[in-house]
Order: sequence, then C-alpha cells, then structure tokens
Amino acid sequence: MKTLKLTESRRDILSGYIYVLPALIFMLVLIGYPIVYNFLISFQKLDAMNINSGVREFIGFENYKKVLSDEVMGIAFKNTFIYTIASLAFQFTIGFALALFFNNKFKLAKPIRGFMVISYMMPITVTALMFKFMLSPSNGIINDIMVAIGIIDAPIPWLLQESTALWGLIIANSWIGIPFNMLLLTTGLSNISEEIYESASVDGANGLQKFIHITLPLLKPAILSVLMLGFVYTFKVFDLVFVMTSGGPVNSTEVLSTFSYRLSFKYYYFGQGAAVANILFLCLFAVALVYLKMIGKEEV
Amino acid sequence: MKKLLATILTVVLGVSVLAGCGNSNKSETSDTSSQSEQTSAVSQAKEPKELTFWHYFTSINGETVQKYVDEYNAMQDDVKINFEFVPRDELLKQFTIGLVSGELPDMTFVDNPDHASFSAMGLFADITDKVQAWEDGNKFLEGALNSAKYNGRIYGLPHASNALALYYDVDMLAAAGVQPPETWEELEAAAAKLTSGNTYGLAFSAIKNEEGTFQMLPFLLSSGATVDTLDSAGGVKALTFLSDLTNKGYVSKEVLNWAQGDVEKQFVSGNAAMIINGPWIKANLQKNAPDKNWAVTKLPKDKEFASTLGGENIVILNNSEVTDEAWEFLKWFMSKENNIEFCKTVGRFSPRSDVTPEEVWGDDAVMKVFADQMQYAQPRGPHPKWPEVSAVIINAVQESLSGVKEPAQALKDAQVKIDEINSTLK
Repeated sequence: MKTLKLTESRRDILSGYIYVLPALIFMLVLIGYPIVYNFLISFQKLDAMNINSGVREFIGFENYKKVLSDEVMGIAFKNTFIYTIASLAFQFTIGFALALFFNNKFKLAKPIRGFMVISYMMPITVTALMFKFMLSPSNGIINDIMVAIGIIDAPIPWLLQESTALWGLIIANSWIGIPFNMLLLTTGLSNISEEIYESASVDGANGLQKFIHITLPLLKPAILSVLMLGFVYTFKVFDLVFVMTSGGPVNSTEVLSTFSYRLSFKYYYFGQGAAVANILFLCLFAVALVYLKMIGKEEV
Repeated sequence: MKKLLATILTVVLGVSVLAGCGNSNKSETSDTSSQSEQTSAVSQAKEPKELTFWHYFTSINGETVQKYVDEYNAMQDDVKINFEFVPRDELLKQFTIGLVSGELPDMTFVDNPDHASFSAMGLFADITDKVQAWEDGNKFLEGALNSAKYNGRIYGLPHASNALALYYDVDMLAAAGVQPPETWEELEAAAAKLTSGNTYGLAFSAIKNEEGTFQMLPFLLSSGATVDTLDSAGGVKALTFLSDLTNKGYVSKEVLNWAQGDVEKQFVSGNAAMIINGPWIKANLQKNAPDKNWAVTKLPKDKEFASTLGGENIVILNNSEVTDEAWEFLKWFMSKENNIEFCKTVGRFSPRSDVTPEEVWGDDAVMKVFADQMQYAQPRGPHPKWPEVSAVIINAVQESLSGVKEPAQALKDAQVKIDEINSTLK
C-alpha cells in the first residue's frame, strides 16, 4: 500500500516538472541573463565616461569596496532591515488577528474580507501618494485623528524629519501587506479540520491552549511561507519609497534598491549600482536558504 | 523530491527578486524595438525618412512643439518627424540603457544641467561644424549656448530659457502692510508678517532632486558662494538664512518634499503668500486662479541678484542615421521668426541674441520682471558629473533644513564630496 502511494506521487512530480519546464526556460533566459550580466558589470569599471567606448576594465572588488565604504550604504542597509522587520511584524500580527477573526463564520465575514483585499490590489504608486497626503502635518488625516483622540499634542511631520520618515513608510507598507497576510493565513486556517478542535474541546482544552497547541503547529507551513514571501516582497521595496520620499529627507529613508537605482541612473556609476543590487540579492538568498532549512526539517 | 522542488522554487523566487530592475528594462527595450520596427515598416511604404524625436513636456510646451513638427512634416517630403512623449525619469534611464542596447531616438530634448554628462558619455552628436557653417550660428547667447557645450565643442542648441523669480499675493502683502521684498532682510520680515493661520509667508522647493537644487542655488549664488566654494562664509550665510526661515515657521517644513508644481499649488490655494517659481506657471495661474491678484518680483538678494538658468537643449543623437535631416529641422525650428512665436506661446525666453524680450512679450509686466531676472541667471555647470554635484548640494540643504547638521558642518561635508567628484575628472 505504502510503496504504491510513493510511486504514484513520484510520477505526479515528474509530470509536474514537465509542466514547469517551459516556464523555467523562459525565466532562465529573461531573468537569468540580466542577473549574470549584472554580476559581470559589478566587477567592471562602468560609468558615464566609458559606457560608450566599449572598453570595460575589470577591476575586481573595487565597486564593492567603494559602495561598502560609502556612508549611505550603511544607512540603506540598516533602513532596509528596519523597514522589512517592522513592516513584517505589523503585517503579520494584524493580518493573523484578522484571519482568526474572519475565520469565525459570521454573516458578512466573506464580503468584508473581500473589501479588505482592496488595499493589496491598489497600485503602489496610488497608495504611496495617498499616504503622502494622509501623513502630511497640515491637513493630513492621520495627524488629525491622532490629535483629536489625544495621542499627540501637535501634528507630526512624519515624512519630513529623519526620526519618523522611515516609520511613515512602514505604516503605509503595513496597510498594503495586511490583506496578503490575512488571505494566506485564512487559507491555512480553513485547512485545519474542525474535528481536531472538537476533540480538543472534549479533552477540556481552552481557547488559548487550542491556539498554541493546535492552530500554531498546524499553521506552521503557512506561517513560514507568509513570512518568507513577505520578507522578500518587503526587502526589495522600491516604488513606495521612491514616490513617498525618494530616499529623503537627507538619506533617512534610503533603502538598498533606491540606492542602487540612484548610483546607476542618477550618477551613472553602473558598476557600483550593480554591486549594490548583488548585495541585495545575497541578503535575500541567505533568507531563502534559512527558509529551505526550516522546510527541510519539517519534512524529515 | 519535495525538497528539490522547494529548492528550485526558492532559487527562482530569489532570482526573480533581483530581476525586478532588469526585468522592467527588458520590457522597455522591447517596447522601443517594436516601435522602431513599426517605423521602418512605414518608411518602406512611403518616401520620406523617419525621424524620432523625444520629449518629456506634459502640457503647453509639448503641444506647441508638436504643432511645429506637424507644420514641418507638411511642408517638405524629405523626412517625417515622430514627436514622442517619454516621461522625464524614463527618458534619462532610456538614454543610458540605449547606449548599450542601441535603441535611441534621432533627436531629443534634454534638460541643460544633464547635457554635459550625456555629452561625456558620447550620446550626442558633435554639431560644432554645422553650427559654425549656419549663418545664425553666432546668434545665440553665450550663457545659453555654453550649457550645450562640452570640452569646447557644441553638442546641441538651447531652445528656450527660463529663470526663477518671486511670485507674491498682492492682496495679502497689502493687508499685512509690506512691500515686495528686495533683500533677504526684507524677505524674512515680510515672511514673518505674512505667516498666520494656515498661510505660510514663503514657499519654495527643496525636494531631493534637481528641482530642489534649481531653487536653492540662487541663494548660494547671491551670497557670493559658488558650486566650488560651498563652505565659504557666503554659503554658510545662505544656508543659515534658509534654515532660520523654516525654524521660525515662516516656511513649512514640507518644502523638503515639495516639487515646484506642489509649490505652485500652495500659492493657488492661498497657503503661501510668496513663492519661488518660474515663468512657466504664469499661464496656469491665470487659468487656475483667475481671481487671484498676484505679481512677480526679482528674487531677493544678499550681495547680488541671482537666479538659475533653466531650460532644455535640443540635441541630435550620435547614432542617428538622419543627422542632416535633423539639423535642417533644428535650423528651421530655431529660426528667429519661429523662436519668437514659440517663446511667446510657452512663456519662455529666446536664447537668441537677436531677439529682445520686448519683441516677444511687448509690455507684459510679469515677463518684464523675468526678463530682468534672466540677466542674473547663471547656468548649472556645464559639469560632466552635474547630477552628482547637484545631489551633494541638495543633500546639504536638506541636512540643515531638517536640523540634522548645522549649516556650516553640512556645507563643509558637502565641499569635501564636491572636491572628490572634481578630482575624478582630472
């Protein structure tokens, strides 16, 4: 019985590969090539002065040294991590809470959940502009509400001072990401059989115990995927930052992607821009490896 | 097995992340290539050669050039010009990508501070000989033509110039009992009196891009500082003056995020009594705020009047196969008669020395002030690394306006960076 099941699943996987193959080739050509190209130019002296001459000197790790010694690199690195981790924390907690809430089968649960996805479907540029207005110290609704309910005395110029600009972006990005977290976790939740909860109730488990001992462990794969995908999507942020602050004031919201863009397309240091993009890639690759390790443990 | 699939998936996922930027470039390049395929298909069917001409003008400026292009297309059979809109940031990006991929237009508008870096890249055609052979070739103002030069050679022609001045709300100034300011002291005093409720005395753009540099540079220049002596006493004075205006609340801190269009909106909605802006907003103000009673005066000065020279140059690209046709059009478009008409329509100044502002504007009071201001307008650069220099300048302004650094310190750090940029040129 058991061996039969295994061969069946093996055959399934094999045909799965064949289905995936065209997409894989497509990606290797369209995505693999730019990556290799990007990798190559990060070791070349390539800027405004020689881009048209055809001569591209190989300079080893010079571009990497240059960007790593740039003070903005440190700031961008720190900002990217703070932004990613804080956004993830908000998105995940609130998304999880909402998923649990809407998992209760009450009237209107589905339509309301549907409405909430709007923020995820909105083009990021629109969201960014909207939040830019909402966070404004003059007439911005977020400040107005906070002043009205007495959290703060005077409006906070969110995007205009170094201390809060990054948090303004985090607020906007959390709003965007909550429905994504909620949806994936809801799917995970609906896969947990009611019977398990019922038998736990029979054994006398309370709500919290059920959550910790049933929901969390059974939801672990979904949670890991959500966090992993969330990390990747948040870490490579570009449009939101570019529209809301374009890295300012000063460099307080510069992230790796905007820094890379600025080096390549504002100052025309293509080699250095490529080096920053590769560093960004390495960070994400490391996260992907950690994720693999976790998934691997689950399976063994 | 499942693990292998997961590995592949993860790698592909990670890879797709990095491809974010590469990917978009790809699609853009394919866009332009399909466009040029179309173009060549048309040219086989018809006699005239095709010429692609890029611009990033959104309103009246673009429409007006389009009219000239249509007129030119109708009056001759040698060439058909396709005038295409490309958003400004996209255009700058496409130039550099085009250097590698070869997908470039034949002609384009380029903002004058960007001109030198693209010339250095070898993107633009050297038209020095053509200009010298043209009977009107010596009829361009030196400052304007300089912005199109690199290493002494001419890589394009200025088409219309502008400069910044101070717009003010006549009624608000009258109500507060202040005269239009002429000096920094008067400007601060006026801004103080005009600030009340939701209205700020003054608004300008100090956004972290070229627009911010464009607006902040006149202050540095007026106090006697130059781009190479930012940390001089004059520079420190200018930046301290600007920081004081925001610290005292006469200028909103939001200027750090305002582009020039945002500043214009603040003026229209009455949230700012005085703003710094260019002649191109004149038509908009007349349309969007017909009841507003406003006037223009020169930018208040410290030591001497100053402004920044703005405007685009028209260039022919190096790889174009229709450079002669492009040059014929350029000569026609920049002829005295056409240029006067053009400048009149779009609210700009002719770069030609044989066109006086009176010829274009008659006794238009607003444009008279701008014409006066133009005499004090200084070009940015030409500097092959101007984008980088510009970023350093606006960074220093933002540092002191947001209170991160003292003006003196911000400028000292900026000067170190500019010296470093200049040292790479030698």
